[in-house]
Amino acid sequence: MNYNPTYALLIFFGLVLISYLLFRPKSGWFWVIKNNLKSNEKIVIEDVLKQLYHTENAGKDMNLHQLSNSLKFDERTIVDVIKKMTIIELLTFDGENLKLTDSGRDYALRIVRVHRLWEKYLAEKTGFDKMEWHDRAEDMEHKLSHEETDLLATHLGNPQYDPHGDPIPTKLGKVADLEGEFLSSLKVGSVGRIVHIEDEPDVIYKQILAEKIHIGSQIRVIENNKERVVFYAEGQEFVLAPIVAANITITLLEKEESLEENMARLSSLKDNEEASIIGISKESRGDSRRRLLDLGFVRGAKISIDLESPFGNPIAYLIKGTSIALRHDQASKILIKKGIENGK
Amino acid sequence: MNKDEIENLITLSSDLRWKIGDDFHDSLAEGIYADASEISNASVSKDNEKKKFRLDAKIDRIVTSKTWGFPIMFLVLALILWITIIGANYPSAMLADVLLDIVHPFLKGLAAGIGMPWWLDGFLIDGVYLAVAWVIAVMLPPMAIFFPLFTLLEDFGYLPRVAFNMDYLFKKSGAHGKQALTMSMGFGCNAAGVVATRIIDSPRERLIAIITNNFSLCNGRWPTQILIATIFIGAVVPSSLSTVASMSAVIGIAILGIFFMFLTSWALTKTVLKGEVSTFNLELPPYRPPRVLKTIYTSLIDRTLIVLWRAIVFAAPAGAVIWLISNIYIGNESIAAWTIDSLDSFGFLLGLNGVILLAYIVAIPANEIVIPTILMLTVLVTGVTGGEGAGVMFELDSVNATGDLLRSGGWTLLTAVNLMLFSLLHNPCSTTIYTIYKETNSLKWTTVATLLPVIMGFVVTFLVAQIWRLF
Amino acid sequence: MENKVNSACETCPQFNAKGLKKLGVHTDNIDYVVALAGNPNTGKSTVFNALTGLRQHTGNWPGKTVVRAEGAFEYNDSKFKLVDLPGTYSLLSTSQDEEVARDFILFGKPNVTVIVVDASRLERNLNLVLQILEITDKAVLCLNLMDEAKRNNIKIDERTLSRDLGIPVVPTSARFNEGIPDLIQTISEVASGKIICKPHRIKNVPKKIEDAVEKLSTEIKKQFPTIPNSRWIAFRLLEGDNRIIKALKTGEFA
Repeated sequence: MNYNPTYALLIFFGLVLISYLLFRPKSGWFWVIKNNLKSNEKIVIEDVLKQLYHTENAGKDMNLHQLSNSLKFDERTIVDVIKKMTIIELLTFDGENLKLTDSGRDYALRIVRVHRLWEKYLAEKTGFDKMEWHDRAEDMEHKLSHEETDLLATHLGNPQYDPHGDPIPTKLGKVADLEGEFLSSLKVGSVGRIVHIEDEPDVIYKQILAEKIHIGSQIRVIENNKERVVFYAEGQEFVLAPIVAANITITLLEKEESLEENMARLSSLKDNEEASIIGISKESRGDSRRRLLDLGFVRGAKISIDLESPFGNPIAYLIKGTSIALRHDQASKILIKKGIENGK
Repeated sequence: MNKDEIENLITLSSDLRWKIGDDFHDSLAEGIYADASEISNASVSKDNEKKKFRLDAKIDRIVTSKTWGFPIMFLVLALILWITIIGANYPSAMLADVLLDIVHPFLKGLAAGIGMPWWLDGFLIDGVYLAVAWVIAVMLPPMAIFFPLFTLLEDFGYLPRVAFNMDYLFKKSGAHGKQALTMSMGFGCNAAGVVATRIIDSPRERLIAIITNNFSLCNGRWPTQILIATIFIGAVVPSSLSTVASMSAVIGIAILGIFFMFLTSWALTKTVLKGEVSTFNLELPPYRPPRVLKTIYTSLIDRTLIVLWRAIVFAAPAGAVIWLISNIYIGNESIAAWTIDSLDSFGFLLGLNGVILLAYIVAIPANEIVIPTILMLTVLVTGVTGGEGAGVMFELDSVNATGDLLRSGGWTLLTAVNLMLFSLLHNPCSTTIYTIYKETNSLKWTTVATLLPVIMGFVVTFLVAQIWRLF
Repeated sequence: MENKVNSACETCPQFNAKGLKKLGVHTDNIDYVVALAGNPNTGKSTVFNALTGLRQHTGNWPGKTVVRAEGAFEYNDSKFKLVDLPGTYSLLSTSQDEEVARDFILFGKPNVTVIVVDASRLERNLNLVLQILEITDKAVLCLNLMDEAKRNNIKIDERTLSRDLGIPVVPTSARFNEGIPDLIQTISEVASGKIICKPHRIKNVPKKIEDAVEKLSTEIKKQFPTIPNSRWIAFRLLEGDNRIIKALKTGEFA
């Protein structure tokens, strides 16, 4: 048979290129077109409501111009939708500014509820990466019906907080409280617990994740100035830029609670050291966390290193009479107290 | 019982749960362990006075050490594979002698004696019987050696240590250390490897292990690789080096398989499988002296015979199909010849030919019958003398004669290289496909596991063929 | 208590307790159903084989039995069907194995549940035992791998353990067929009601959870007066277990 292999190769790579352009994650043409088809009125209305809800909760005002800047839809669509929303009494104008009506607020709360429940679902029942939770929930919040939402809530055990620490509104619109101050505003020497990590904007959230800062950790502020915020948590020091620290919320510890100074991460345990487990960090979630509890990684259990694998990861720990291997990232989410007596 | 009451009950539990808060599960789990601790403290006493001799600990220090861990592991695996491949030769040859050279002619004679019509005789004895006999002869001995050896290691407790050593490497591609074992098991038989993935209790990693198990070159494919490498690769180097060259080519293909396994694992984690739940834990149980006879018995019953039975069930109809397509004529061409003609140009584009593609289609049930089918079909389309007749699979006693036959069918070095690649990268055999379906209970993952490797096979052989022809 | 051997014959493989007949896979005309539960790698399948005369493969590797296996034996003219459940660490999570095991103990209503534990890792194994005792009140604890425990200088006071758990405790070394006659005798006595169990119920639960469970469990008992495990169902409802909610709605507990 006669043909030119060069052409065959060119045609092949041409096809590969086309399918890459069409289907590459997120910015592939196929996805872009699919997304544009989806942006119907319901989604715009719900996004407007949510945006106003968050602004009002932060105690700020928002006019039409600011609103359309903060959403990804074009201005004409937004103006049209706002007109309709005032007619069906979801919002009113207060001079320049937009205000939610009571029914608008209820509606917004429902959207927030679905969003946070879905993030909780993704965290507990799936293997999606943290970075993906927000975008997937943004998508899902427009899709779930009332019944589906309630079923989901029951299945998740009616959680109070989403994985970032934000309270999830209940069916009746009840919201558990989230009190605290931004890490960037704390005085040196303050002692508290991380209760919330903001997942927007992406750039800052990525930095927080890269530092391996865990929600639920007890911290003590060591340094706080314009250049940097330094704090101590779980046996390590963390250094952040103030703008990053502002996205972390801390609740100060009550007087009777005291900072566990000896607390460390299991990953820092050395050969021949013994420790007892304090608990599992909130960062360990879903099946992974349940499995650890089932295996006896519970408060008070004594633990030591049994074996190190040739690469140093995973490490097998001796706990309740059995040798169980964990990977480094799992061990870093188990909190221990070092230096207990051996008993021998 | 009243529906409303039940609804009230569920609403009540929802409210109560919300009030308890998010640490319900943790508190409960801790509570149970606290009880367990109290009870066991009251009844268990451990004699700490005697310095306990932990032989286990000593073995562990060695088999997981930086220096010895990996050498021991590779040595053990290489030894098992070596014993399997070498040790299986003799019983395989013996079974082939009996089943193919004695029983087959005997059955033919018997059929002729009772005056069986030629088509029934061909269909049953040349088609069904021969395929089944072939599968038994090639498949049974290696599995009967490989599985008991592997099971002995398993019972001793060494395998979890292998998973422990290898986890770091597998983790990089998003897989579980235990996949090292299911992969090794796949070198014996992919269907058994897929069943073995049950030891991986994390859903995502288990699916990865199932889908990528086919990249382990199984027992049914080793002989094909060795035969083709001996004929074609061994021939391009000086004869003193031919054994070394052909063996290196086969090992190279196996290693390429491991590379594709890692690559595919990684790609799957990043794409279709990223939403599946992923957990990790690995218990290192104490060593226990294996009970050799019992182990051999159970591994034969549990693994070898089950897999063999499934293979036979699938091979029988395949034999029938092979005979039928060679003996049913449309116009003046048999179905086989007609299909080969239409597949030829696509085959050529992949550096293969129509015969090979048709052989892989009809030999889905078992990789073992690929070579006999190829030989039979080559005789059928080229019209060279030799062979046993249309639809009758055969193998030649001498490697040289096989090589001559294949060359007369138009085979070149490129055909051989691409056949070796395609033998590594094609759909799993139907036994394995069926097992994947039973294990995953999902049509979706079965389809992925079936089509992914064959698409990769097309792409790889296509690229190799084009680049080869450029130079 | 020492792990005593009743007779020399007991340890030989061909032993036959008086009145015992191993029936292999013949599971028809059954009088009692016995479930076999336990952690992975505790020799559960070995116990299964010792009782039924079957030869299921038993690997030294957690998680061999995924589907449940069935076998039977006959003792003193009663036929027992034995169901080998997948080995699990717990029944609180949601993996497939745990569901199979949990569903059988809960909905299959076995006459006796034999819980096989590793004697040298008792504390860890009790986690599962305590959960099972919340579901069923006819259970036998099979303290297996006594040979390994002895080698590690671990002594277990079986009487205290039996009193604390409220169920009979039988020490065995199933690999060497030690203690199997005792186990069979005990199973048959629990099945026939000769031994009445008073299983331990989980105590160390925080007050706010205990209160909620109490409240819920009282309501459940009002709806289903006959069920023995209202407290455990309350735990599962609080967990949001869909399977249990569904079972309540369809009346599977009635």
